[in-house]
Amino acid sequence: MERADIDLRNATYQRFVELGRAPTAAEVGATIGVGEDGVRAGWRRLHDAHALVLDDAGDIRMANPFAARPTDFRVEAGRRTWYANCAWDAFGIGAALHADSRFETHCPDCQDRIEISVHDGRPDDASPVFHVLVPAARWWSDIGFT
Amino acid sequence: MLLFRSEAHVDRWLAGREPGATIPITKLAELAAAWWQDRLSPDWQPRSREQSQAILDRLGLTGDFWRLG
Repeated sequence: MERADIDLRNATYQRFVELGRAPTAAEVGATIGVGEDGVRAGWRRLHDAHALVLDDAGDIRMANPFAARPTDFRVEAGRRTWYANCAWDAFGIGAALHADSRFETHCPDCQDRIEISVHDGRPDDASPVFHVLVPAARWWSDIGFT
Repeated sequence: MLLFRSEAHVDRWLAGREPGATIPITKLAELAAAWWQDRLSPDWQPRSREQSQAILDRLGLTGDFWRLG
């Protein structure tokens, strides 16, 4: 991966953290002094390298663990909030920020709310379990479903 | 990649479908820390499949289900 693409990727993530939502190509471009077309071309290369995920319009859909679209995994850390793509990513946001975090979701079976606080990387409730339906070999075949 | 109240809730939700893998939330927390901790580092570098597989292996997530494609 070219240095310029890593810089673009890092700027995209940084803006995602700062904004609490996915940045636009113009917002990232303004940060690193690259035109919108250049940002979009770089994002496409990063998408192909599985470094982020674009939607059909070429906008950010996922910068894992951060989700651009609302999900059932709302994460709070340092009085800011983001959406995560899944339970793994819900823990991942705190891990990436190196901060204590809290998130809520719902049990897909009974719809009960599950609230987890994470301190020093450890959840305060050890009773829930994590289920992965798709084998690892197919995670990227349909990353949205995974 | 969902969180359930318990294994009984997973079984009920599957309703006879082929199960995937179920791990304790504490193991998930360990996995997330190892997987995502460098995500916002200015020194971030793309990880190879072998490096990602090594994280899973180190946490005991082994076998065909956890073999990355």
